[in-house]
Amino acid sequence: MGLELPVFYVFAAVAVAASALVIGQRSPIYSVMLLIVSFAALAGLYILLDAPFVAVIQIIIYAGAILVLFLFVVMLLNAPKEASGPRPRLAPGPRRAGVVLAAVFAGELVWAVWRTAMAHEPVTAGVPARAVESVHRIGQVLYTDYAFPFEVTSLLIIVAMVGAVVLAKRHV
Amino acid sequence: MPSLTVIVQLGLVVAVFVMLMLSSAVMVYAERKVAAFIQQREGPNRVGPKGLFQPFADVIKLMFKEELRPGGADTVLFLLAPVISATAAFAAFAVVPFGAATTFFGLLPEPIKLQVADVNVAVLVVFAITSMSVYGIVLAGWSSNSKYSLLGGLRSASQMISYELSYGLALASVLVIANSLSLTDIVNHQSGYWLGFIPKWFVVVQPVGFLIFMISGVAETNRAPFDFPEAEQELVAGYHTEYSSMAFAMFFLAEYINMVTVSAVATDLFLGGWHGPFLPESLGWIWFLVKISALLFFYIWMRWTLPRYRYDQLMQFGWKILLPLAVLNLLVTAAGVILLGA
Repeated sequence: MGLELPVFYVFAAVAVAASALVIGQRSPIYSVMLLIVSFAALAGLYILLDAPFVAVIQIIIYAGAILVLFLFVVMLLNAPKEASGPRPRLAPGPRRAGVVLAAVFAGELVWAVWRTAMAHEPVTAGVPARAVESVHRIGQVLYTDYAFPFEVTSLLIIVAMVGAVVLAKRHV
Repeated sequence: MPSLTVIVQLGLVVAVFVMLMLSSAVMVYAERKVAAFIQQREGPNRVGPKGLFQPFADVIKLMFKEELRPGGADTVLFLLAPVISATAAFAAFAVVPFGAATTFFGLLPEPIKLQVADVNVAVLVVFAITSMSVYGIVLAGWSSNSKYSLLGGLRSASQMISYELSYGLALASVLVIANSLSLTDIVNHQSGYWLGFIPKWFVVVQPVGFLIFMISGVAETNRAPFDFPEAEQELVAGYHTEYSSMAFAMFFLAEYINMVTVSAVATDLFLGGWHGPFLPESLGWIWFLVKISALLFFYIWMRWTLPRYRYDQLMQFGWKILLPLAVLNLLVTAAGVILLGA
């Protein structure tokens, strides 16, 4: 029990540090590798939360599949290292849009953290706390309470896939 | 007494590590001997009786070779790649059970499980760690700064992604029947007999699943006839072209250990693990060894019998035949489980 807190801080520190380094890298390959480290640390946090299933799925889907595709694309395009020196400034239009998006995102983040900090009980989003532990419960909840978001997500992915095929076909 | 348990557990870790090392030595020897047998040659026969010490001679030779590094290689990733490969290979075996709980003929006060770590999502852990091993190969290919290595790495990435899906779906069909994610539970589910003589192995109810699992397993471990990442005739040696000395040895080690792991998982999932006739439960690991050896022999046999596929055929086969078949198999299995109420 006493070990849990230090372990949490180690994983959290690794996750934050690796994520910060992802944007700090000039070589895209190193960025991808650091992102894997960050995801692995997140998986460690899930295990601390008694959710080994979610942790393993995190590794399989993100670290094992999606990031391999990232790496594949980076290698295939042979993306060069960014040149050092001052970075080129964006045009005023995109810069303004970026500032607005960043502000919205920061606000959202503060709101989320604030809500969690203010809560007297753990935030469970209506799911019993032990549910994440068991695969059966995750399956049940996913196909009953969360059936709509689940279906919408799959529709979104299909749209993205069809879109990718259409874009690629144009050049074949 | 907790200290004894800890010591036994640590001993188990070391034992599994040494066993995996030795298994790759045995595999090197077996591969060369079986290859020689198939090609009507003698095979290694100079070092030790019947050439038995050949693998050790190979290791010593590799240790004393010069460590080369191509100019323009990315040093960090070049050195990291073989480490990732070997670590992933060793780590995956940690959750694989290879025998029933035993007291070693009463030597220990309480029985211990013949498994380094009993995780209740063991099947998925194996799958997760195996899926990480692709990074070793891809990074080796990229960091070598050589076109052959890069092509080998790219091929490997696409091959492993393509076959991982079928591999996962074949796993899932077993999980649906066993109704558990723990490998120990799955093995115990396969004890006993139907009609008194047909063993209750999942291969009997899941013949298609077993076939899909083994085919994708061969593709995942980059073995012939799916050894594209290192197709000698086209790519010199693929992703490990630029590696020499112990770094090369680590890739070699990883390949053989991955074969052992895939065979061990296949044995646990489909061939009843350590259950078998004639032997008491405590000697089940003998059955386990026999089954693994049979699968490994099959691996070698296939390599020296079948020619390599063509690359586009491999992709077509993976996506257009194997994957739909795996989905269909899962659907039929799930429907069967619901209908029969198993």
